Amino acid sequence: MKLTPRISFYEASARQRVAGLLDADSFREILPPTEQRISPHLGMFDAPVAFDDGVVVGEGTLEGKEVYIFAQEGKFRGGSLGEVHAAKITGLLRRAAIRKPAAVLGLFDSGGVRLEEANAGEIGSTEIMRAILEAQRAGVPVIGLLGGSCGCFGGSGITSSCCDALIASEEARLSVSGPEVIETVMGVEAFDSRDRALVWRTTGGKNRFLFGKVATLVDDHIPAFRMAAVALIKPSEPLSVESLRAERTRLARRIEDYGSCTDARQVWARMGLDADRVPDMTAAELTAVKPA
Amino acid sequence: MELPILLDQLFPEGHRVAVDDWLVSGEATLGGRPVAVLGTTNDVFIGIREAVALSDRLLDIVEKSPGIPIIMLVDNNGQRMALDEELLVLPEYIAHLLRAQQLARNNGHKLISVVYGNSIAGGFIAFGMLADRIVSVPGAETSVMKLEAIARVTKMPLEKLQDLAKQVSVFAPGCENFFRMGGLHEMWTDDFSNRLQKILASDDAQDIRASLGNERGGRKAAQAVIAEVRG
Repeated sequence: MKLTPRISFYEASARQRVAGLLDADSFREILPPTEQRISPHLGMFDAPVAFDDGVVVGEGTLEGKEVYIFAQEGKFRGGSLGEVHAAKITGLLRRAAIRKPAAVLGLFDSGGVRLEEANAGEIGSTEIMRAILEAQRAGVPVIGLLGGSCGCFGGSGITSSCCDALIASEEARLSVSGPEVIETVMGVEAFDSRDRALVWRTTGGKNRFLFGKVATLVDDHIPAFRMAAVALIKPSEPLSVESLRAERTRLARRIEDYGSCTDARQVWARMGLDADRVPDMTAAELTAVKPA
Repeated sequence: MELPILLDQLFPEGHRVAVDDWLVSGEATLGGRPVAVLGTTNDVFIGIREAVALSDRLLDIVEKSPGIPIIMLVDNNGQRMALDEELLVLPEYIAHLLRAQQLARNNGHKLISVVYGNSIAGGFIAFGMLADRIVSVPGAETSVMKLEAIARVTKMPLEKLQDLAKQVSVFAPGCENFFRMGGLHEMWTDDFSNRLQKILASDDAQDIRASLGNERGGRKAAQAVIAEVRG
């Protein structure tokens, strides 16, 4: 049997991810690093800046379809949302609402709001959220891809959850408060952020997939993310009272069914899964046994 | 500012608003017309249960009172920080609440947030920051993270942060800072009812916060970058 080499999404840079997801040589970056839109705030903290402020935005094609794409660079200040970073994403989403590409792909890799720019980052994150909701209103689907080394927390965690659909690897982490924040504020007995297995089974891609928040679970392989994205592109479904009532009912039922759980292993056991086996399963194996 | 005083000052023509633990909901009359009132109180943390309770009320309003303005009264201590809440995917619950707000906007409801207490981080995002217009009244306090915590996480000396906070609005807590960044459309000190009616009379629900931040000097890059990328 011939083995396909693994092209890790987790290890790749934002630009490598974009290049690997889109059709070859189709990407055109908007405000590339040569334009030097740097943070106007980091300098006063004597902190290094990046010429793209830690996010790549632009347009390209996916199997011939026009798509817009943004990719957060986790290696620059944890992919954090600063003023310019957030504005680039908001601008791209507003562009999408006007020009209506087949989809916007959002590659999240972000610890959340950049604390040196906390107010700008927080306001900016809600500008992104509104722009996602407005792009969706225009019929443009926004698809989130999670699997970067910084996870997806805080403002980025909420932002990504506004997407029409999420694709994630097991390595992905998604939550509002990150484990370190919960530990800092509530104490180590509330969440031991150094317990890696606990962090991943609580916030990781498998848990989010089993609850239905992640539409497609993939292995940590960029072509697998690409295939999943191709399959998920379809016009955004309009919001309605009926669709949101159904969503609310599903979320309220989750609280009834699992609200007393204090560990993912209890959740998985209640779902009828072998909780000891889940961490070792591949994406395909878990997909095969996921309860409806 | 205390909730009963706020309600009386916002709605001198009368209101029928009930407070159930942390949940504030009901109706009021403004300029002779009905408005829906939905809010939180007692410094509640916004978690998964709060999100579905609020979305339930929002969907009721959209269904039963088409198009009426929705006045959101904002007072929270942030998102609920707990392993078991995150275990059940808290960001999905908050996004659901934001989608319910967007449905209301799409269906012609005006959404106005009045911040009258604490309003912090994910709690403010979940219920407040996605309204069409966001205003504060005396006693409001907005923040993302306290300076002490920013100092701890960024490993910067607290004294330096306190010093910088006197010069710029970009990171330190406080309504004035948020206002200069465009995160609050207006800061009210008096005449709440007339000011609210004036906002409701305007037809514009566009997100203009980046241009406000630019005009006020707190956030001078965002508007231009948004425009450049949007094309």
